[in-house]
Amino acid sequence: MTELLRIRDLSVVYKTRRGTAYGVNGVSLDLEENKTLGLAGESGCGKSTLGRAIIRLVPYPGQIASGEISLNIEREILCGGGVIRKGMTNLMELNDEQMRSLRGCEIAYIFQDPMTSLNPMRSIGKHFEELMRAHDPTVKKEAAVERAKEILEGLGISPERVLDYPHQFSGGMRQRVMIGLGLALQPKLLIADEPTTSLDVIVEAQILRQVAELKAKFDLTMILITHNLGVLAQTADSIAIMYAGRIVEVADTESLFESPQHPYTQALLESVPDVSKPEKRLTWIPGAPPDLTRPIPGCMYNPRCPHVMDICKEVNPQLVPSKTGGLVACHLYDGG
Amino acid sequence: MTGDKIVHGIFFSVGVLRNGVRERSRKALIALAFVMVLAFSLIVALVGFGLNSSSQFGSQVVGGTFLYAIIMMVTYVLQKRRVAAGRAKRSVGRLILVIACVGVSLAVVLLSFLIMPLRPIVLLNAVLIGGLVLTFVLILIYDGHPILKERGTAGLIAEAGLLIVSGIVYMTAVSIWIVPYDPTKLGVGPQLLPPSPGFPLGTTYLGQDLLSRTIAGGTIMLEVAILSVLVCFSIGVPLGLAASFRGGLWDRGVCLLMDSIYAFPGLVLAIAIAAMLGPGVVNLALAIAFVYIPSYFRVVRSQVLTVKELPYVEAAVVMGARNREILLRYILPNILPSAIVLMSINFADAILTAAGLTFVGLGPPVDVPDWGWDLTFGWGYLISGAWWVITYPGLMIVLLALGFTLAGEGLNEVLTPKLKE
Repeated sequence: MTELLRIRDLSVVYKTRRGTAYGVNGVSLDLEENKTLGLAGESGCGKSTLGRAIIRLVPYPGQIASGEISLNIEREILCGGGVIRKGMTNLMELNDEQMRSLRGCEIAYIFQDPMTSLNPMRSIGKHFEELMRAHDPTVKKEAAVERAKEILEGLGISPERVLDYPHQFSGGMRQRVMIGLGLALQPKLLIADEPTTSLDVIVEAQILRQVAELKAKFDLTMILITHNLGVLAQTADSIAIMYAGRIVEVADTESLFESPQHPYTQALLESVPDVSKPEKRLTWIPGAPPDLTRPIPGCMYNPRCPHVMDICKEVNPQLVPSKTGGLVACHLYDGG
Repeated sequence: MTGDKIVHGIFFSVGVLRNGVRERSRKALIALAFVMVLAFSLIVALVGFGLNSSSQFGSQVVGGTFLYAIIMMVTYVLQKRRVAAGRAKRSVGRLILVIACVGVSLAVVLLSFLIMPLRPIVLLNAVLIGGLVLTFVLILIYDGHPILKERGTAGLIAEAGLLIVSGIVYMTAVSIWIVPYDPTKLGVGPQLLPPSPGFPLGTTYLGQDLLSRTIAGGTIMLEVAILSVLVCFSIGVPLGLAASFRGGLWDRGVCLLMDSIYAFPGLVLAIAIAAMLGPGVVNLALAIAFVYIPSYFRVVRSQVLTVKELPYVEAAVVMGARNREILLRYILPNILPSAIVLMSINFADAILTAAGLTFVGLGPPVDVPDWGWDLTFGWGYLISGAWWVITYPGLMIVLLALGFTLAGEGLNEVLTPKLKE
């Protein structure tokens, strides 16, 4: 298996009036081709910021402070800023124009809210046409519309609806259109930022199934950002759990659910209702996530951790291999 | 929309369908009769004006515009039929239209040189503008009506507004050829004669024929309104787009400039600028345009600031759209409806401001027939009972302003896909 994405020591800071907040703090991550990585954590833990950082579009006032994001590019891409070569490329070294031509073409991004993610003044076909012409101005209108019909049909929307406007579609259909737009140029990497959060469970299941089909069809690699662990259990190959801007545990989906290593992961799974154990009472994690503008020394989770030790309040744990084959950042496993 | 419907146009609603007879409702027949009567009386009036015109060329000019419009219309329908049947491409159809337009216009140029070797340009203007406006009206009724009707009240409002405006533009274009008396000639009748058979709208205190003045008085006002709105639209909108999209110091600077213009009362500033530039149509238009630039800037800026934060703009960035594309394809179409509404209000406002500037003496020269001048000189005679001198020109100003407002308001709703249903 070849490596598609490699992130090393990525930090994203938000410079606010109250001080500098580390939205993403020294994250390292590897992603192999054709795999789905789930990125989970509670609100504000930096999972969306990490997703945005990969396409270098961190919302204002955030900026990427340091780190390296390398993407394995399989084809040469011509753009205004020159040629992007094949092979591992550090995205941080590309200029804006090169980065622009990479977005949509190699990396697609799907947002949480399908209701407002489409231009209300343009028909669906026009969206496809504009996307394709942004990357290749020589594309003919007819060709773009043909391609749009093909993609929509693949997503279960009848092709004659290319002339319709976004408000004539339901939420689930719009999200499918967004996915279709994301995949129109056959990117290698798809980052889906809570793609099904605003949809009901039935549509959610439909869309996740379709995404899984498309993933196989297009040889996609996916990063699925969500706070819904149930969704990840269905779709992800491996899961990374984030807490306060750091990755605390990475493991295969199965081993993560079977034997979670990090105390935070354990607590997170405890707080999910389980229909097979109706007698189980739901637990919650006491306390609140730390203020990111005032980082606490040591492990960020130590004030809420039931297994807290003295070392946890002084030294920040590093990711070490765990016994289930994943990585975990906790002093409980320092001894091996 | 089916091909059939496109080809049949307005006659679709009363015509016979291929696969059965369409039920002819009473309502449709009454509407048709109403339209027919209206069109007939309009044509009779035009022919009457043409025959009784002081210029001797009235009927020729009116006939010329009708011939022009009919030729264009027939070409339009034929090319539309060919395109609908798939025998020609859309681009070829457009090319045919352009060729027809140029050809007929050249014929008009030649004819006008033959008929009037001394002042061909005046005749040319009248026939060309009148013909184009008539063509527009015919196409609007034939082809636009079914589309607009589908959009309900808004479409009909837009249609009514467009018809009023085109009617006044047509009347103004051919005015000097169809008026019964020279509108500037003094003493064609007794002074301050009330409406009577010889002078249907009465006469002014200088003995000018008020009917002729009412027909011919729109020239300056229309020119000023259209020119000023074009100028301030094409300055205000791009300025607002650029400033708010770039943001930062540039935005602050332009905002400050616009606010300082805004701080003056509009009419006073327009008077000051018009006085500085001197009288004349272009100067009048520029003065009015200058006053209205900040309102476009403000509206566009606030809209852009809202729209550029919306997810679909972000989605476009994520899909690799360039800044230029985002600005022109994603932001501009979404802010345009509010700019167009402003434009319609602005049209009406510009007409009233132009009337106001003429009223204070900064308008066109006194010897040009103008509704504003009629108001200026006529209002003093209102007390002595001569109501007609200001009523008819005033009515025309109201009608024109109403037409622009209706057209703008209706078009705004028609052009926004979300308000379609």
